[in-house]
Amino acid sequence: MAVDVTVKVGGEAGQGIQTVGDLLARVCRKSGFYVMAINDFESRIRGGHSFFQIRISDRPVLAPHQETHLLVALDRQSLTLHEDAMVEGGLALLDGKDDKKETGRLSVPIEELAVKAGGKITSNTVAAGACLSLFGAPFDVFEEILRERFGRKGEEVLGNNLMAAKLGYEAVQEIDFKWKFEWKPGEPKGALVNGSKAIAMGALAADCRFAAFYPMSPATGIMTNMAALAKESPFFLEQAEDEIAAVNMIVGASFAGVRSMTSTSGGGFSLMTEGLGLAGITETPIVIVNAQRPGPATGLPTRTAQGDLLFIINASQDEFPRFVFSPGTPVEAFDVMIRAFHLAEKYQVPAIVLTDQTLNDSLYIAEREFHPPDSIETFVVNDSQIGDPSGYRRFEITGNGISPRALPCAGEALVVVTGNEHREDGHISEAIHDRTNMVNKRNAKIPAMLNEMEDPELYGEDSGIMLVGFGSSKGPIRESVDILREEGVDAGCMHITDIWPFKADRVKAMLSNCSRFFTVEQNSTAQLGRLIREQTGLFPDGSVLKYDGRPFFPKGIAEDVKAFAS
Amino acid sequence: MVTVNDFECSFENKWCPGCGNFDILDSMKEAFVSLSMAPKNVLLISGIGQAAKTPHFLQCNMFHSLHGRALPLATGAKIANNKLTIVVNSGDGDCYGEGGNHFLSAIRRNIDITLLVHDNKVYGLTKGQASPTSDAGLVTKHQPHGVLMEPFNPLAVALSLGAGFVARGFSGNKHQLTGLIEEGIKYNGLALINILQPCVSFNRVNTYGWYKKRVYDIGEENHRPDDFRHAMDLAFEWGERIPTGILYKKDKASYTDKIQVLNDGPLIDKPYASEKIKAVLSGI
Repeated sequence: MAVDVTVKVGGEAGQGIQTVGDLLARVCRKSGFYVMAINDFESRIRGGHSFFQIRISDRPVLAPHQETHLLVALDRQSLTLHEDAMVEGGLALLDGKDDKKETGRLSVPIEELAVKAGGKITSNTVAAGACLSLFGAPFDVFEEILRERFGRKGEEVLGNNLMAAKLGYEAVQEIDFKWKFEWKPGEPKGALVNGSKAIAMGALAADCRFAAFYPMSPATGIMTNMAALAKESPFFLEQAEDEIAAVNMIVGASFAGVRSMTSTSGGGFSLMTEGLGLAGITETPIVIVNAQRPGPATGLPTRTAQGDLLFIINASQDEFPRFVFSPGTPVEAFDVMIRAFHLAEKYQVPAIVLTDQTLNDSLYIAEREFHPPDSIETFVVNDSQIGDPSGYRRFEITGNGISPRALPCAGEALVVVTGNEHREDGHISEAIHDRTNMVNKRNAKIPAMLNEMEDPELYGEDSGIMLVGFGSSKGPIRESVDILREEGVDAGCMHITDIWPFKADRVKAMLSNCSRFFTVEQNSTAQLGRLIREQTGLFPDGSVLKYDGRPFFPKGIAEDVKAFAS
Repeated sequence: MVTVNDFECSFENKWCPGCGNFDILDSMKEAFVSLSMAPKNVLLISGIGQAAKTPHFLQCNMFHSLHGRALPLATGAKIANNKLTIVVNSGDGDCYGEGGNHFLSAIRRNIDITLLVHDNKVYGLTKGQASPTSDAGLVTKHQPHGVLMEPFNPLAVALSLGAGFVARGFSGNKHQLTGLIEEGIKYNGLALINILQPCVSFNRVNTYGWYKKRVYDIGEENHRPDDFRHAMDLAFEWGERIPTGILYKKDKASYTDKIQVLNDGPLIDKPYASEKIKAVLSGI
């Protein structure tokens, strides 16, 4: 029988929900299962209600499910909030002694066992042990994971946790859980990674040397990972005084010659837009990750959305070329970061990577290995390549719009740059011909930039109904297609990662064979649908829209599509 | 040998005749020559305003950026390549108004940059509005009932934040100003030089004559630049007598001195860490 179960660990912020979830995910991965786990939390450090939802399957999974097989309720509120989502035969695990399995509730004296094992702090390990025991997981794999996690914290901590694990495991060993499944010795199917970590790894693999940021959910995790991963690397992370400083710092660092990035969310990005324009007019390569959350203003700080698409494509006054990417998985995000840095430098333009809370904070099993480049291609010139450095002009008009880029104080060539409109030598100009020539020069890059864009990815091409999406909804959309097909609906999907410059001709050609297409997006006005209409002249037949701040679930998408289709 | 002529630039100067900026520009060139710094070794970074146009009017490497943002941009450049000698040209509006937060942070970082603030106590580029250093009560077209805010005191603020080099110059004393700029460039850390400068178009109060009657050189009155408390007193002296010179100087580690990864050379000079990346990826 196929394995596909969902465990929800709910409780107050600060109770260690993520610890339980993380332990479960690691044990499942080590045993060869696939997992996908979402983090649902409020914008607070203590109290309130949070949950970690982990889906375990023997097939690759890139989307969360709502139906819960096992609920670990670290507080009573979790029970009332989530019991409705329990499947038949599911169990809610509680701390206590009173509830019997027949009621759908199972009491385990979690805290009492934890104290017995050495301290209340091991409660999460007791809970994880009970969960794994209910599903029939072998204890030895759990023990290995605990040794990996707590081994460095000393014998006592490790010993206490091993005891806690054992007590939790044994406490429910006699329970015949309906959703127990078979565990065979297996190999991990891939790295367990969230989008934030993958983005950080991609940036370092792309030779990012400098990052500046101001903390903002859900983007901060990227920088947390960069700081941790780059301890030994030629890299420096600066916490700027605000987002405006952050973006200007990376413009300065890139101007001086190192690959640089920042990450933020919509509010911070709004503050960065003038700096983005500065990178645009000074043709300074930078990379910005915008991790979307619902807005406007502060919105829902810890929730997910895809409402910034048209803003990102158009951000900053006036016009200049830029790249925008919207990866669907951590592996795609890793690859996109490498391409973003490469293309930003090659074309001397800003590149923006559009992610969201779901991608950044959810754990995925990487669908393949992460491949760093063997070397980094650079696109700067020195005196000898310039020939006559005394006549160097930073913004020389060339056929393809790309001017030779020298670095300041690197030789005889003087590098003159201004955010004012300028002449070829970089000095301010208000002359009509300079203005027109410089706009044309910058725009001249667009055809070649467009050629760098990869085609959208199709799943079930030539289907009658196509679902079109971008970013983290890739997994949920794809699985909704599977559901629709099982129900006899002739559906397929298209995922757009390389979103700007927009490959209008290819998207148009790819959508011309279907009878109807729907966009699937997490905003309220179908921004992708509007973009497709603007760029291709094709009108979407409708849009599946979700803007409640929570991720897409495959069944929900399928139901909406069926409603459209009927 | 470097000469002042090496800095001559054919780009048309756009300041008003008689502007104090000309004297500041001259002093900068003199200071560079005195330090044997050729144009190719100078990186000027500026924000927006009349002062921020300065880099266009001499031969140098330059980045004329956004209003208020010269300091973070310069900070990024310095971290990327800590061998760069960076001088920032800013104004009272650019540095203390639009860029106020960056001013505070740049001092706290002690990033090795020479910060020249051309302080004419008024907005020149936008035609005469009050600036952060305008005196309370100053009447302008946009403040017809006079400025209601108290003026910003950059020297006292810098001192209070632990700045290691705090000076005041006057564009009408080029000899002194050249020396201050030289000292500022030599200083390892953030060197703030607030430069009093008449605005011949929009400031009818603080004219050359007004300043000439009031400014005095604190070096000639035996002020010791390591005397913090006296420096603080001087920062608040204004009116009949206006002190100029180095108010405070103290050696300490600059920001990039404290960045461990720069110990063995600038970020820009390091090779791609291919093996380290692979090790990171294999370790996840």
